[in-house]
Amino acid sequence: MNDSKWTWRFVCLISIAATLIFIVGFGYAVKDIVYPQGDAPLTALPQKTGAPDEEVTGILKVVAIGDSLAKGTGDNTGSGFVKRAVEGMSEGDQEVNLLGNLGINGLTTLGLQNELNEEGVKYTLRQANTILVSIGGNDLFRGAGIVQSNSNTSSPTSDEPSAPTDELTSKELLAALPEASKRLEEALLKIAEINPEAKIYFLGLYNPFGDIPELRVPGNQAVTVWNNAAMDIINTHSNMTLVPTFDLFHNHLEKYLSTDHFHPNGDGYQRIADRIIQAVH
Amino acid sequence: MNNLLPLIRNECIKILKKKRFYVILLILAVLVPMFTYAQMRIAERSQDKFNSDWRLEVQQQITDNQNSLSSDRIPEEWKSYRRIFVQQLQYYLDHDVNPNEPSGVTFTREFLDNSVTLFIPLLIMAVASDLVSGERTTGTIKMLLTRPVKRWRVLFSKMTALIMFVSLIVLSTFLVSYLISGLAFGYRGFNVPVFTGFQIGGDTVNMSTVHAVPQWKYILMQCGLIWFVSIVVALLAFMVSVLVRSTAASIVVMMATLIAGTILTNMASAWTTAKYLFMVNLGLTGYLAGTPSPIEGMTLPFSMAVLGTWGLISVIISFTVFTKRDILN
Repeated sequence: MNDSKWTWRFVCLISIAATLIFIVGFGYAVKDIVYPQGDAPLTALPQKTGAPDEEVTGILKVVAIGDSLAKGTGDNTGSGFVKRAVEGMSEGDQEVNLLGNLGINGLTTLGLQNELNEEGVKYTLRQANTILVSIGGNDLFRGAGIVQSNSNTSSPTSDEPSAPTDELTSKELLAALPEASKRLEEALLKIAEINPEAKIYFLGLYNPFGDIPELRVPGNQAVTVWNNAAMDIINTHSNMTLVPTFDLFHNHLEKYLSTDHFHPNGDGYQRIADRIIQAVH
Repeated sequence: MNNLLPLIRNECIKILKKKRFYVILLILAVLVPMFTYAQMRIAERSQDKFNSDWRLEVQQQITDNQNSLSSDRIPEEWKSYRRIFVQQLQYYLDHDVNPNEPSGVTFTREFLDNSVTLFIPLLIMAVASDLVSGERTTGTIKMLLTRPVKRWRVLFSKMTALIMFVSLIVLSTFLVSYLISGLAFGYRGFNVPVFTGFQIGGDTVNMSTVHAVPQWKYILMQCGLIWFVSIVVALLAFMVSVLVRSTAASIVVMMATLIAGTILTNMASAWTTAKYLFMVNLGLTGYLAGTPSPIEGMTLPFSMAVLGTWGLISVIISFTVFTKRDILN
């Protein structure tokens, strides 16, 4: 009896105390959710953690940014050129850290510019000393509406009825170029500004439509113009390198492109990765 | 009042003597280490991958979610969920606050968030479901009712004892989870800021009312909300135990409704009238964390009103049935 008296008191006391605490918490919660007190998000400003790196160690810290190629779309193993390159680079004594892969499917130069304004992206880039950039394919091919409607770009706007379709698509492809390459320049400069120390490797474009007769020539032209524009930008910065891919795919599309006929397949990515390894080492 | 206190005491001692409460503690003591271990493995793995820099990890998480947004195979509701999630992560990153600062307190916060809709209600049911039906199964109800005590007093004392134990269960869930996970993650972290006040409208999050709250206060608010949910679940289980003759049946009925609730919240966003069901409204802590409500148009006052109404009705039903019904055997 004495024992149960003691437990009863104990239970009673604790449960009443707990109930009171919970009622207070409940009141707080309701108040906080229904009337959220104003805005006080100035609590903690983004701490500018620059990367005064321990460069001495010689560890490669890799970050990839850009479009679906950076992400690795089309590779059945999901590795993409980024992971393959990192694997290849770390084969020797070299220590390689992949800090992150910020590739986003369908990203254009415009999207990349927006990305580069994000605090988190900036932070990630700042931690790296090797930055792999792949961008432009979506500006060039998606902007001209080719990917969605393969070569169905009929010509109602053409002035001369005799104009062959390739010239038209070539014009369309080239139309997107000046602005896109300007944005590319801005984006690359921005990356270099975010992290002046890092080496930037920019992936040149290939023509995924080389085996479609109407698109072969205009596609090649547009890609060449784009790659030249990129080269012009990159040549003026010692920290940037252009890694060409045009020749890798030129006459081997069916071998190295995945089933969507736009992205490389695993073998295609491996070839790109090999190029990058050569450029880095 | 003089009359009630001994009755309540009697009921409390009965609950304790039936050892149900100890079973609950045992369940917690077994399950929490499992969750802690799982969480530890996740933390270890991400430390390996991201150089133990949480910012890189959060940024990768954002990118991964953005990537899944472009997929056509993902239903629109999930996309808006992910868009909201991305914006919240972005907010944490912009303010340099780790949303998952590894500590026993953070673990407890997440554990409470995840257990409010199913796990804690189950624990509550373990006590509530046999309060009256248990007396019937064993036949002790006759003894209880032949005493010169009014029936409503008997029921009221049972209900009070139940509410006391609800508080104890919520408290012990917190304590057990904090004490055990603290062994693995450390006991500090009560002052780490957590953001709350995300206002969700469709796809976008209104950040103007977001503010930081120290984690202890966040957990206090969470516990308050969980306590409210638990009381309602307890009252409902109590009603079922008055209505149904056998304990097993009463547990099955409550379990079925709760599980139906979790299934509904996962798939019934198109069936909007489901929001008047109590089991869809159990996730009150989601309003605190800023997760989108399972059905468009649900708010905290709405959910509280729904839960409150269900609780009140079940009290009324329990009392009318219990005071009127003949006890046959």
